[in-house]
Amino acid sequence: MDFALVVQTILNGLANGALYAVIAAGFVLVYRATSVVNFAIAEFMLIGAYLTYTMSLFFPLLVALLLALPLAFAFGVLVERGFVRPLLGRNVVAVIMATIGLAATLDGTALILWGPDQKAMGAADISQLPKEMPNLAFSMGGVFLSSKAVWSLILALPLAILLVTLLKYSRYGVLLRAVSESETAALAMGINAPRVVAVAWGISAMMAAIGGAFLAGAAGGGGPGHHLVLLGLIVFPVAILGGFDSVPGAVVAGLLIGLVEAFSQLYLESLLPGITQAIPFLIVLLVLLFRPYGLFGQHRIERV
Amino acid sequence: MAEINVENLKVVYRGVILALQGVSMRAATGEAIALLGPNGAGKSTLVRAMSGLLPQYDGRVLDGKIVINGQEANHLPALKVASLGLTAILEGRPIFRYLTVTENLRAAAHKLSSQRQKELTDEIFTRFPRLYERRFEQGGYLSGGEQQMLLLGMALLTEPKILVVDEPSLGLSPKLTEEVMRVLNELRRDKGLTLVLVEQNARAAFSIVERVYVMEQGRVVFEGTAQEAQADADVMEFYLGGAVAGGFSEAKRYRRRKRWV
Repeated sequence: MDFALVVQTILNGLANGALYAVIAAGFVLVYRATSVVNFAIAEFMLIGAYLTYTMSLFFPLLVALLLALPLAFAFGVLVERGFVRPLLGRNVVAVIMATIGLAATLDGTALILWGPDQKAMGAADISQLPKEMPNLAFSMGGVFLSSKAVWSLILALPLAILLVTLLKYSRYGVLLRAVSESETAALAMGINAPRVVAVAWGISAMMAAIGGAFLAGAAGGGGPGHHLVLLGLIVFPVAILGGFDSVPGAVVAGLLIGLVEAFSQLYLESLLPGITQAIPFLIVLLVLLFRPYGLFGQHRIERV
Repeated sequence: MAEINVENLKVVYRGVILALQGVSMRAATGEAIALLGPNGAGKSTLVRAMSGLLPQYDGRVLDGKIVINGQEANHLPALKVASLGLTAILEGRPIFRYLTVTENLRAAAHKLSSQRQKELTDEIFTRFPRLYERRFEQGGYLSGGEQQMLLLGMALLTEPKILVVDEPSLGLSPKLTEEVMRVLNELRRDKGLTLVLVEQNARAAFSIVERVYVMEQGRVVFEGTAQEAQADADVMEFYLGGAVAGGFSEAKRYRRRKRWV
């Protein structure tokens, strides 16, 4: 076994996994806050990626990404205020159908606004040279890491860990967990539950934007495209593996699935072509057989 | 000023279920009143209406007035009502079960400065040493009495002027009920609170309130001082051991005979 190759695979797996972790953490955050399964999470990634692309037409890519984040936050808040809040408390199936409807609407909107052709970050056309982020690719002792993987490790991984830490220790984190248990009890204590929930949606959209912007680049053509929506499906096995209601669980599961995918690509893909796409879902099936709450799912407290 | 006035309040759920049919009550600044009545009398609906939480239960005020500290609050949302100084401890001990004791207190203290939060938390832990011992445990694992103490602590951290407490004695032993009432009375005295206590346990309520309202089927059927209530044969029979012999049918006949509306 080539040691350098294994190290490289681990780092690449963590880099991709960090993106899954960031997106899934945002997805779970929204589920915790509102009990809504956001089936439009992939479209959140898409909109985030397009916002980054639009900004990148005027600014260097890193600045564009940072500028796209508040826009994505505002988009998330807007979706919550205009679309989710009126549906809260309604029949679960109605809410599910509504988020699927939202996904289709966002897909169509993106198509109208940005057109069907593939874009390159920082370039009006894919044939033009994109304005790249500072190149951080490195090669050391036979381990090669692309610039994108390094950026992902630098940006996405700390962000995911920061979110978990804030949720656990910050005042907002405590309020969010309180609201997620009972909005009525929170309101009775004077907690501005609607604002807490709206911020959760905003953060979720921001996290999806980061994941979307990075994965859009990875998925082909160097720019956002509708293939991102298919890639976004990975959020579901990650969230389920993590326990669905656990943000730390989503982060760990994201990293795990990133690693498994990387090793599958290295060792299994040549034997079983296509297995890498299926493997996250297979893992979820296996884990759920033995741990119905996922890896970190919250066990119900019941007093007897 | 910390007073609450309810005039001829009518509340409807889902547009069809009339839960309050013209209730009037008041609690003056610093006064403690009790709302008594059987299940379904409308006590909790009145609490929800006072605290602006009716929309959470698909209910709304149909008619009448709620005035808190001189401000009409019929249609104010819960957050505005809270900002007027009214804190409600709802029925069913609604602590945040997955948050630790400390986190529960922190959530309730979200509006306070760190300094004030620390002062009040220290005071709460002094009043309730058991909460201090269990400060790192999740609220869901506390006993009923401890959860009630935690709720009182959380309410204190909102620095209320009017405290509305819905059935604090529910599911507690007589000894614990006595303890909860003692603490409520202490808090009310020390903080100068106006207290609205909703109870089915009339004996416990009488020990700390000045005036009593008895509710039945969405209406107030008795209003008087705690002494008057205790001297009233119907109130005493209804709440303090109006034992009925002769099984279910006899009990139903007894209730019909004693229906006050």
